[in-house]
Amino acid sequence: MATATETSARGAAPHPDVTSYSDVNRDILAILQRPGKGWWALFGLATAGVGLMFFSWGIQLVKGIGVAGISKPVGWGVYITTFVFWVGIAHSGTLVSAILFLFRAPWRQSIYRAAEAMTVFAVMTAGLFPLIHVGRPWLAYWLVPYPNARFLWPNFRSPLVWDVFAVTTYFTVSATFFYLGTIPDIAAAREAATGLRKKFYQFISLGWRGTDREWHHFGKAYIFLAALATPLVLSVHSVVSWDFAMGITPGWHATIFAPYFVAGAIFSGMAMVITLTVPLRKVFGLQAYLTTKHYDAMAKLILLTSMIVLYAYLTEFFMAWYSGEEIERTSFWDRLFGSYWWATWTMLVCNGIVPIMLWFKRVRHSIPALFVISIFINIGMWFERFVIIVVSQHHEFVPFAWGVYRPSMVEMGILIGSFAWFGFWFLIFCRLLPPVAIAELKEVLPAPMRRKEAVDHG
Amino acid sequence: MSNGIKRRDFLKVVGVSGAGAGISGCATEEAEKLLPYVIPPDDITPGVATWYTTVCGECAAGCGVWARTREGRAVKLEGNPAHPTSKGALCQRGHASLQGLYNPDRYPGPMLREGGEFRSATWDEAEALLAERIQGAVGNVLLINGHTGPTLSGLFDSFVTGVGGSRVEHEALSEAPLREAARIAFGEDVLPHYALAEARLIVSFGADFLETWLSPVEYGKDFARATAVDGAGSKGRFVAVTPRLSLTGLNADEWLPIQPGAEAAVALAMAGHIVASGRGDAGPYAELLQDFTPDVAAELSGISAEAIEEVAEQFVSEGPSVAVGPGVAGQHRNATAANLATLILNSVAGNVGRTVHVQGGWTGQRARPYAEMQDAIQRMASGEVGVVMVHGANPAYTLPVASGFGDAFGRVPFKVSFASAPDETAALADLILPDLHYLESWGDSNPRSGIHAIQQPVMRPVTMFDGKQTGDVMLSLSKRLGRDLGSATFHEHLRAAWGELRSSEAGSPGPDGADDAWWRDVLRSGVLPDAGAATGTRDDDSSSPPLRSPDSALTFGLPEIDGDGLDFTLLVYPSSRLYDGRFANRPWLVELPDPVTKLAWHGWVEMHPEAADRLGLRNGDVVTVTSPHGSLEAPVYLYKGIRPEAVAISMGGGHTNMGRFADGQGVNPMVLLPAAVEQPSGAFVQVATGVTVEATGAWKRMATIEGSDDQLGRPIAPAVELAALSAVAGSAHAEDGSETEVHHDELQELNLGGGFVPVPTEGRPEDFPLPGSRYGGYEDALSGPRWAMAIDLDKCTGCSACVTACQAENNVPWVGEEMIAMGRTMGWIRLERYYETIDAKQAGPLDVRLLPMMCQHCGNAPCEPVCPVFAAYHTPEGINAQVYNRCVGTRYCANNCPYKVRVFNWYTYTDVPAPMNWQYNPDVTVREGGVMEKCTMCVQRVREAQNRAALEDSRPLADGEIVTACQQTCPAEAIVFGNIRDPESQVAQLVESERTYRVLDELINTQPGVSYLKKVTFHAVEGESH
Repeated sequence: MATATETSARGAAPHPDVTSYSDVNRDILAILQRPGKGWWALFGLATAGVGLMFFSWGIQLVKGIGVAGISKPVGWGVYITTFVFWVGIAHSGTLVSAILFLFRAPWRQSIYRAAEAMTVFAVMTAGLFPLIHVGRPWLAYWLVPYPNARFLWPNFRSPLVWDVFAVTTYFTVSATFFYLGTIPDIAAAREAATGLRKKFYQFISLGWRGTDREWHHFGKAYIFLAALATPLVLSVHSVVSWDFAMGITPGWHATIFAPYFVAGAIFSGMAMVITLTVPLRKVFGLQAYLTTKHYDAMAKLILLTSMIVLYAYLTEFFMAWYSGEEIERTSFWDRLFGSYWWATWTMLVCNGIVPIMLWFKRVRHSIPALFVISIFINIGMWFERFVIIVVSQHHEFVPFAWGVYRPSMVEMGILIGSFAWFGFWFLIFCRLLPPVAIAELKEVLPAPMRRKEAVDHG
Repeated sequence: MSNGIKRRDFLKVVGVSGAGAGISGCATEEAEKLLPYVIPPDDITPGVATWYTTVCGECAAGCGVWARTREGRAVKLEGNPAHPTSKGALCQRGHASLQGLYNPDRYPGPMLREGGEFRSATWDEAEALLAERIQGAVGNVLLINGHTGPTLSGLFDSFVTGVGGSRVEHEALSEAPLREAARIAFGEDVLPHYALAEARLIVSFGADFLETWLSPVEYGKDFARATAVDGAGSKGRFVAVTPRLSLTGLNADEWLPIQPGAEAAVALAMAGHIVASGRGDAGPYAELLQDFTPDVAAELSGISAEAIEEVAEQFVSEGPSVAVGPGVAGQHRNATAANLATLILNSVAGNVGRTVHVQGGWTGQRARPYAEMQDAIQRMASGEVGVVMVHGANPAYTLPVASGFGDAFGRVPFKVSFASAPDETAALADLILPDLHYLESWGDSNPRSGIHAIQQPVMRPVTMFDGKQTGDVMLSLSKRLGRDLGSATFHEHLRAAWGELRSSEAGSPGPDGADDAWWRDVLRSGVLPDAGAATGTRDDDSSSPPLRSPDSALTFGLPEIDGDGLDFTLLVYPSSRLYDGRFANRPWLVELPDPVTKLAWHGWVEMHPEAADRLGLRNGDVVTVTSPHGSLEAPVYLYKGIRPEAVAISMGGGHTNMGRFADGQGVNPMVLLPAAVEQPSGAFVQVATGVTVEATGAWKRMATIEGSDDQLGRPIAPAVELAALSAVAGSAHAEDGSETEVHHDELQELNLGGGFVPVPTEGRPEDFPLPGSRYGGYEDALSGPRWAMAIDLDKCTGCSACVTACQAENNVPWVGEEMIAMGRTMGWIRLERYYETIDAKQAGPLDVRLLPMMCQHCGNAPCEPVCPVFAAYHTPEGINAQVYNRCVGTRYCANNCPYKVRVFNWYTYTDVPAPMNWQYNPDVTVREGGVMEKCTMCVQRVREAQNRAALEDSRPLADGEIVTACQQTCPAEAIVFGNIRDPESQVAQLVESERTYRVLDELINTQPGVSYLKKVTFHAVEGESH
């Protein structure tokens, strides 16, 4: 945990309207009050979407995986695309909370709670997709190494097994990290709550009292977990990228994939943070806590990763040409001008061209503009995965076996449902746990026992 | 167990048998009487297959068949090597007989029409009724039948004579013009037999001898022998002179794309050129040849005179040559003249007696003129016929609406069908007396003079269907009518007939059919013992009868086409899958991608891309095809192998009353055709009308397995020019060993470090697993066999018999049109077809690459490391195996397979309608939904042979003892399987060929266990020096 003096010195968000701890408690905990119609409407929508997802999945379980549009040669379609998309989204949460914490970037304080929650829910969403995707999901546990009488182990050479480890590890660490960081705030909420809700907070706050000793342990645990989570930011998406890079499919088999995917993940994750926090800020009146300064910082990160991603795209095309390998060349030519040209151009425009606007300070400081750009990036990043996965597969080595894939209604239902599933959890989170970190915000405020002037002049 | 069987081996066999019995046990749920073998039958050992010889009854070719039965059920058909025509091979239609046998739509028993609806009847009731009706209509009985064996045919004759009736034979694919032409030319009423194997130059004027013409399996075999390159670097050539390339045409080395109907002109011009150069004598036709100079022929055919002269030149210089055709697909109003022209050409070039045999030719059943049928229709229409019986024919479907068959048939007071399964004619009948399937009944065949084969039941009739073979019905009907034909059963009758046959063949009245030992021998070999010798006489027959002058007026010019001036000439051709439509209710065949268009299930109209451009049509646009006689709607398939002036539609689709798989699928071109009769042969005219084509605005996602027909220069199906082969060039290409040095030291070093061991790109199939490589963990992997396959693409004709054979052997499901359109074909073999050069506008070399693509059983398989659960793994014997039970269905293996040969069970496809499940091979599991599968190199056959050898004193396996299903059926003998570690094995020797390559191996280092031998072309192959 950063100390107040450090952050002030580096120009932490001054929050001009927020002057006391009680202001923070009041503003943030107000979010946890009885929800309004808007929340219920959204929650209803999300629940309906979750229903749609499980209904679609149910059809698939009963009838068979064939209700999806995937076929030969495109055996991985919308499901894996969406899996990678959500794993990517999951990235920025840990990045914001762990890496930026270790690097003492003060602008993270207002957003990291939402970003961490986003991480956990995004991994929960992503984790469904391998199950949805496999032909016999009831046997999916065979991918997990567990002692058994047949002495059968998973194939540790398979990137899919690496995936199982990477994603479960990431989920475990990010969920723990998220929960740990929330404990002091749960305790704060506990003080304000009554009835059943109070009981719930009492239970999950693990008896937090805010003593020095507790803060000391908390700080240590937090920094350790942050250190533990940091390599995961790089590893998870690297491993996910190896699902493809280890394959021999033209368009997959490239050494650039790990950094390319990690950059893309941060890119899409930050965009998703903006997409989520802009409405959150508006609805819950958190303008004082999430200022343009925060958004400006996020926009800069997006700009950076956008350039990395664009560079990666261009490198891929360049390498395809430079290699002189006819099959690779055909594959990339097909990417640009083949049956799926629209997906590729959507990807290039949304991820490479649109973020150029972020070079302008005016754009970075305009919340609506950022929101719109973030939506473009979300779409673009979904299509990036679609292009890599589907478009590469549909034109491979043997031309006679080329084919075109069209997503089915079931796949679209599950895709839409996955957003609802994510929203469902996020909406519950907004009402149940403080979506902005109370304790950390308080660190940058003057302590209540001091006079205001002491800080102003201190 | 005292004769040296080891306990372990015994358990292996018992284990296999037990599994098999268990599976077949599951499959019998629907059977009503399920009794255990308390006292097992002598000839059934559970788990061990019993084989019976019989004769395929599906078409008039009558190929010899071995039926593999397990626990009393036929599960697989294979060619009978002892049969003199098919010589061990079988076509896709033959394999699919099993789906006729186990067809769920078969009639459950006699059906009687009452008040417009069919109701079940007993045999006694039905026969009594029929006897009564015949008695009331003596003299007015008509029997229409398709091809039958000679004995049943004889029985039909005696029956019909007995009741004073008449009999008409009707086969939709009739070679009547050829028969007439042979009669005119040589005075012999036969269909000539063509010795393709002996020819060095084959010129086909449209005869689809690889698909449906006369005896496609035999000719497929002969063709492959003639045109495959031999050790001396010699290779026969094939020139196709046709307006449309059928599969046979796609195998040509050169294509002369003529106008429809110009066959006679080109053949005569060729003959004229030969005669003019003084190398042949046209006898009475010399004057005729004067009229057809190459220039005249060029004018009529649309190809250059030089091209005609060139091929004529080759026809004499590259002899022995043979000209065949035009076949059913080319039957126009001057078809007899066209056939006569090819016979003249053969005669002029001295081929008669060498490659064209008038003696020992085909028996006439396949050449019945349509005119006879037309006469019968008239008699039915005029009310002369009291009772009509139909056996083995479906004229209500195979004749055009314009023939009036339906109406005329409807006017007959009592109509009887012997169809065992529904068809359009049976649907019109009053009484149905379902015949047994040929695999359940007795019969015989006599395809060519001197060849007699026996058809014996290979199993008891399927219990769900209460059929009775028509021979027995004839006998019992005769009895009811008070005429005893001498035998109680058709079996007895057949045996008596064969006794006589034996006496006559032996030339003395000595032995007869009562000789049990002789009869058993007949049943065991399937053919009349002397049949082989009988065909031998053909070779001695080098007599070359002189040409006779025509006894009727013939026109050799372009035939008359209805609707003169319409945009396109309609070509109607027999389907290599559905034949004349009789196989449309067999999902294996309906789903088998057409060897030419690669489309399955639905119908299509073939059109040249240029013509389509003119009309603004894309592939898949649904069009209305209208002739002066009718119209139909079908999607357009753009095909470069057809003249721009023609469109083509395959026969066989558009059924209305054939069963669940056939009805509503495809189109029947007969609605477009007039009921025209060719003179003088009386044949039905197929190329009869012009059509217009109009877009409907609709588009159809066609059910194709084809992604692209251009291999983009990738080393998938490369070819090599004949002149570049070392045997031809005369200089042995010394293998340059320096480049292919394996860096074993480096490998060793890496291995000692415990690191990843790269697979050297110079490996050969027999090297795997490499010592120290990641497949090196098996103790016996380096000492045991390494199963491998070699496929000679110079032989492969793309006929697709292997696809169906594999489907039958390995319980590969069919999935339906929608699934195929999505790309979800389940076939373990994909017959790829690439075009290198194809030009429908001028004569020239044709380069079509055909390649059966199945699992390549890579030594360094990309699918294996990516499977998270080891479902894809490598056996110590080099087979890339798939453990179905372990498969979770991530499909990573399929993604990582560069050959895209892994197929996924998107649904559980195994719930087939009973009794089709009876066909399942008990040695192979069926797969549930969500599981990946692929070619296993018929591992069950490998194990079966290994177990057998182990039980026989642990003797070593001989090369060739294990035969995969695809290899077994291949008419071209293009596929060879064996242990590549054994240097003596055929496969090991084949891969030594300079033509050997492995698909994409140089690119991705997969080290396949399947080697291909390049196709050999006569023209230079661009950019493919490797």
